[in-house]
Amino acid sequence: MLAYTARRILATIPVMLTVAFVVFGLLYLAPGDPAAVIAGDQATPAQIAAIRASLGLDKSFLVRFGTWLWQIAHGDLGKSIFTGLPVTTMISQRLEPTLSLMVMSTLIAVVVAIPLGVVAASKQGSWIDRGVMAIAVFGFSTPVFVVGYLLAWVFALKLGWLPVQGFHSLRDGFVPFLRTLILPSVALGLIYIALIARITRATMLEVLGQDYVRTARAKGVGQRSILFVHALKNAAVPITTVVGSGIALLIGGAVVTESVFAIPGLGRLTTDAILQRDYPVIQGVVLLFSFTYVVVNLIVDLLYTLFDPRIRY
Amino acid sequence: MSTTTVEAAAVPLADVLPPVVRRGRVRTFLRRHPTAALGGVLVALMILIAIFAPWLGTVNPIAIDPIHRLADPSGLHWFGTDMLGRDVYSRTIYGARISLLVGFSVAICASAAGTVIGVASGFSRLLDAVLMRIMDGLMSIPPILLAIALMALTQASVKNVIFAISVSEFPRISRLVRGIVLSLREQPFVEAAIASGTRMPRIVWRHILPNTMAALLVQATFTCASAMIVEAILSFIGAGTPPIVPSWGNIMAEGRALWEIKPYIVFFPAVFLSVTVLAVNLLGDGLRDALDPRLAKRL
Repeated sequence: MLAYTARRILATIPVMLTVAFVVFGLLYLAPGDPAAVIAGDQATPAQIAAIRASLGLDKSFLVRFGTWLWQIAHGDLGKSIFTGLPVTTMISQRLEPTLSLMVMSTLIAVVVAIPLGVVAASKQGSWIDRGVMAIAVFGFSTPVFVVGYLLAWVFALKLGWLPVQGFHSLRDGFVPFLRTLILPSVALGLIYIALIARITRATMLEVLGQDYVRTARAKGVGQRSILFVHALKNAAVPITTVVGSGIALLIGGAVVTESVFAIPGLGRLTTDAILQRDYPVIQGVVLLFSFTYVVVNLIVDLLYTLFDPRIRY
Repeated sequence: MSTTTVEAAAVPLADVLPPVVRRGRVRTFLRRHPTAALGGVLVALMILIAIFAPWLGTVNPIAIDPIHRLADPSGLHWFGTDMLGRDVYSRTIYGARISLLVGFSVAICASAAGTVIGVASGFSRLLDAVLMRIMDGLMSIPPILLAIALMALTQASVKNVIFAISVSEFPRISRLVRGIVLSLREQPFVEAAIASGTRMPRIVWRHILPNTMAALLVQATFTCASAMIVEAILSFIGAGTPPIVPSWGNIMAEGRALWEIKPYIVFFPAVFLSVTVLAVNLLGDGLRDALDPRLAKRL
């Protein structure tokens, strides 16, 4: 187990290096000269050259990549061109809304989707099954901002049950926090629900045909126990895999959801940074999200051995 | 022995290749997969709408008419007008062109790039080690984010949107193709071809590529659907097609500020986008059931 864990962690290093290389390449290729931006309109070419040298911009690509990696390793993501603030500060200011949104969406998705998938599989071909599959197809096909507007229109504008937009920090109290978070989380979670429900149903159908399920039935185990204890546990590996890889959808969706619901999170930071071409910020956010994605999938890989002790690589 | 290998080479090809269009088979397919048929009809309808946009009662989609701005839907403006008095119906109909163009172009570009990379890494261990590490890295960046970052580097244009989304989609396709190539290489008919001295390019062209087509076609359909969503998202957040282009994402982005009082500006393009993506997904599900039974069983 320890060796496996160590090997899996080591295996993420080349992946993270590639990610860092791609992200650094983006900034390297970015049009415009940061030195000229910092120097301002009145600067002479000599001044710009001096600033360039002081920033290390006159060095070769690999030297700059190395320096940059060294800085990241020390928690320095550079400074925003626009605000002059360190990118890490800007990210930490925006972390809470995005983190809350993603955790909430994942919770909703897992709590709703897994029972839906299990029930659909146990009643294959029934109207419940067809309904769940229809939700899954619609969830895949409806872009997150369309769902967002629809929910906001019904539950905020027409019914007035929940606020239309905005975000309340957990420090403002749990109820306001939850009220602003429900609609965006459901909107963001729908595609995730579709994904998880679909894979749960498919895996459960496979597992329910196994011999040990028949044995459990023969010795008189109840239907609920068969579904949620015997079958679901054996279906856990593919389901957790999808929960892990689905984080990518969630991250992409968060950028849009935050725009729709005016949530001041990392997604909004990204959108604003793009409009202002604030490359260090774009770089920092992409790096952070990719890092999160890799770490989540690493955790999922390590969870496999917990669900299925037979797995030993 | 040699004759059986020759037969083995012929049989799977005919099995895996897209079925020859015969009237009876098409009818059977449509009866067995009514949702796929519905998807196909809707996709065809959207293509027709895109082609014949100028003749569908539309006006110039970028013509500004400030006097009639924010008019509610009526006989004159079926979907109303936006903040600048542009006809939302015309913009939505013309938007089909952008969405379909981006969807199909990305499906083609990403499939082509993915196939080249996938075949290359399936055949060369050295290339495999290098290319697949790069693909792993690219796949670790959430696709929408990668597309956003790429768009931040370039000018907003339809061509760049296609490029950015293709780059974020093709690593997954290259993984798929690589997997198929690796399993095909072990097949007797490929071994027989190698043993009988067939050159590599010919093996790839005659034996490998045709057998990846079914899975590739299915994947390309889903890539098309996902590309249309990503395009809309990019345009919606201001990193996609230039604002002058009437794409569904742009129309929604412009309607965003006013959606609480004039929801129709967002509503109509949203419905068109969702229906089109749904149609392509339904078609993809049907194709998967028909062409790739192994995959169909798994999902």
